[in-house]
Amino acid sequence: MVDNMETKKILIPLLFIILAIFPPFFLSQYWLHVMIISLFYVMMASSWNLIAGYTGQVSFAHAAFSGVGAYVSGMLAVNLGTSPWLGILIGATVAALLGLGLGFLCIRMGGIYLSLTTLGFSEILRIIITNEDQWTRGTMGLQVPGFFVEYSKASYYYLFLIVAILFLILIYWIIHSEMGLSFRAVLNDELAASSSGIDTIRVRISAFTISSAMAGMAGGLYGHYLMLITPDIPSLGQMFLVLAMAVIGGMGSFIGPVVGAFGLEILSEYIRIYGEYHVLIFGLVALAVARFAPEGMVGIIKRRWKKGGFS
Amino acid sequence: MSEFLMYLTNGVVMGVINAISAIGVSLIVGIMKVVNFAHGELYIFAGYFSYHLSVSLGLSPLLAMPLSVFFIFLLGILMERTLIRPTYGDEMYSLIITFVLSIVLQNAALLIFGPYPNKPPNLLSGATNIFGLFHYGNQRLLSFGLSICILLSIFYLIKKTWFGKSVRAISQDRGMASLVGVNHLKINMVSFGLGAALAGTAGVLIAPIFPVTPTGSSAISLTAFVVVVLGGMGSLKGCVIGGLVLGILENMGAAYISTMYRHIFGFIILILVLVFRPWGLFGQKA
Amino acid sequence: MMLMMFLTGSWALAQDTIKIGVVGPRTGPAAATGKAFEEGIAIALDHINAKGGVLGKKVEVVFEDTGGVPEKAAAAFEKLATRDKVPIVVGESHSSSALAQIEVANRYKVPFIICEAWHDDITKKNYRWVFRAGPVNSGVVDFYIAPFVKENGFKKVAIVRENSDWGVGIADRTETNMKNMGIPFVTLKVEREGKDFYTELTKLKAENPDIILAYIYGTGLHFFVSQANEVGLSPKALILDGAGPPSLWDTFWKNVGKAGELELFMSSMHEKVHLTPTSRKFWEDYKKKFGKDPTDYKTRSIYNVVLVAADAISRAKSTNNEAIVDALEKTNLEVTTGIVKFGLKQGTYEYHQWMPPMLVVQWQDQQQIVVYPKEAATGALKKGK
Repeated sequence: MVDNMETKKILIPLLFIILAIFPPFFLSQYWLHVMIISLFYVMMASSWNLIAGYTGQVSFAHAAFSGVGAYVSGMLAVNLGTSPWLGILIGATVAALLGLGLGFLCIRMGGIYLSLTTLGFSEILRIIITNEDQWTRGTMGLQVPGFFVEYSKASYYYLFLIVAILFLILIYWIIHSEMGLSFRAVLNDELAASSSGIDTIRVRISAFTISSAMAGMAGGLYGHYLMLITPDIPSLGQMFLVLAMAVIGGMGSFIGPVVGAFGLEILSEYIRIYGEYHVLIFGLVALAVARFAPEGMVGIIKRRWKKGGFS
Repeated sequence: MSEFLMYLTNGVVMGVINAISAIGVSLIVGIMKVVNFAHGELYIFAGYFSYHLSVSLGLSPLLAMPLSVFFIFLLGILMERTLIRPTYGDEMYSLIITFVLSIVLQNAALLIFGPYPNKPPNLLSGATNIFGLFHYGNQRLLSFGLSICILLSIFYLIKKTWFGKSVRAISQDRGMASLVGVNHLKINMVSFGLGAALAGTAGVLIAPIFPVTPTGSSAISLTAFVVVVLGGMGSLKGCVIGGLVLGILENMGAAYISTMYRHIFGFIILILVLVFRPWGLFGQKA
Repeated sequence: MMLMMFLTGSWALAQDTIKIGVVGPRTGPAAATGKAFEEGIAIALDHINAKGGVLGKKVEVVFEDTGGVPEKAAAAFEKLATRDKVPIVVGESHSSSALAQIEVANRYKVPFIICEAWHDDITKKNYRWVFRAGPVNSGVVDFYIAPFVKENGFKKVAIVRENSDWGVGIADRTETNMKNMGIPFVTLKVEREGKDFYTELTKLKAENPDIILAYIYGTGLHFFVSQANEVGLSPKALILDGAGPPSLWDTFWKNVGKAGELELFMSSMHEKVHLTPTSRKFWEDYKKKFGKDPTDYKTRSIYNVVLVAADAISRAKSTNNEAIVDALEKTNLEVTTGIVKFGLKQGTYEYHQWMPPMLVVQWQDQQQIVVYPKEAATGALKKGK
């Protein structure tokens, strides 16, 4: 019995990974683009879930960190001719350092204060980016080089796919490691956790730092794919999308954000044909999910699965 | 010198209006420990209602303004009953819900009211010469006057009436308050409605000066949060002082340092306060 | 099977229509331009399809929203190129958006005719696929705004510019001109979507300008004009709306009130100024279709470029991109503002550029009075007190 479960746990993801190799062979440029964007959101939603779903800290600075990664990498490329490959690593590092700093500042604070601080940080960053337009070109947009000399959507797809898979593997490893267990202890009962000797502060800061680094890298990838970096990337609008994807997919579950990211991104392409209603619709769905089914789509499916007696 | 006075006056006027807006947030935070992210949207909805009641339906602004505030009060109560109450106690979910709600309302505003700024008619037009030193818009002066009246009414409400006393009791110790017979569920509901109504009041007071747009709501929410944090969560005095400080600082900063960064002063204050003195100027040390 | 076909995009090919892509702001602070575009497109399609369409097929327009921001604009262009696979894209009214879109046009090799994005670089970059049948910053300033300021004896100029590509570009060009003409000026920067200008206006008042060149495109202009009046800066100092459309939107008089009197703005259209028979026909058909006079000149701008696109496809006798570009370079077409002929001189902004004549218009008693150039004037300039 145990053997069956273990092999299933490895086979199913392996199957998905193998299937994921094929899209560039039959998808049009347009839909390949949608896949790439979905993978970006997978990276963002799962790394946000790491702190929100697993440690209960609702940070509104996630999109801001992706903006940090994008702008650092972009400006290095434009001003110093740095290769984007190196640029995104530097961007992710800067994001991690800022995440560490912000995490350090927020330690004493409760949920509301943390959310407001991250909100304030996010808006400060956006205003600075918008105003320092000699460096960032603000709302006019910063044009940056791509990763590949010859533009090829398929190449970008594989790049995003590989990084997304690495992120997911890393997140999975963290959740199931000792650190991860302490995350969940902190989430469930902070008082009990700290009295049993878990350094809740260190736990929170580490989670925050790792999550910010991921957001930074995702942002760098995104920026160099679009070849245009704008203050939209570190905006609250983007933050909302990431949050909605995690919530609707299922916060606190591993697969939830992945489902949410792909689901919402593909859905938004369909809805867009009818007009710009997709944000409103996602918002309403997110409200309904948060109110009635906080475990998200994944939670709902899991419940149905159990009811149907498949296990 | 007259420029300086103009900036100062602008700062004070905006400050008082900021204060009213912030009290709406502070009330809700103080009582329910919930941050109402949808604050800015309630504000603009009030502005839109005021506009449509006056312009599309032809009602006098004197009627349109209070009526709009009343609608927002009802909207607030509805929000509390359907969305906020069930998440009571779970901080994370109430944050998520009001944040998502704010985005939903923002987009709804875009859909229902359109993308163009709507400006309810001025009650007064033209400008007055202040002490012969500079000109200042009359509508702004009127809004200033009304704001002062409203602030005084709120102080009276909180300090002298039974409702106010219940509110203060609950924010200090909910358990004890319900023991002495305060119906905290009802108070929650009415307070949320009142908080919403205050957002709406600020909205109808400002909309004739700064037309409302669907995207303007975030800036309004954020300004209110800064004032509340600066003044101290749950402190009315703090909202007024905080509002004035922010208003004056933003205007002075924009005038003498950089017009482009006017909003950043607020955020820097927010972060500094949260880091060094999270309970604000007049708040209680939790 | 259906899913595969759907995903490979083959569903998009409707064999019996020719699709022209349009990009423009249907949402955002300049959404009124999106509305204007819709109207112009409708009339253009009426005219084209009444004549039998193009290559024997009916012409359809796919209008993607840019939201007035470059990231959405680039995405919109990419959609038209990859999802709808249009042979040509026209439109755009924001320079930052256009600058992002020309890169996408280059990547997918799709011809792109811009109508109302004024930044020099759009054509100065000399991209083979990019054309502009519309105003260009240098042209607008050198031939209209600067001479207007000089000939009317303005002594002190205030330049207020928003932080957008267009704002920065046109302000820089204006400064250069003012320096060359020896007219003192002062420049102020404002936020693109600002609402409260009291501080900036107070600073301006201290400088005592007699004309303010307001390079703000969006409803921010309305607040600027009304607040300038409140602080007593205008109408002593006249305000010139450097873009034009905000002064023409329905909400202008509602938001601005009496402060709109004597305000100046750029335009390329006026009831009494008909440069070509096409212009007159456009005016009449607009009145018939919408029951009112056209007010926003961008309805005509988009009408023009849709016509140019259809004409190019006809002459190319195909939807092949190279053929269309060749045909475009040979364009000699009458539109509402003149005869379109694209420049071919490489190395400058004149490459693939055609600039229509413009007008400086003043609101007098809520009527549009053309005050510059003298040949087209319908009245005299009134200065404020």
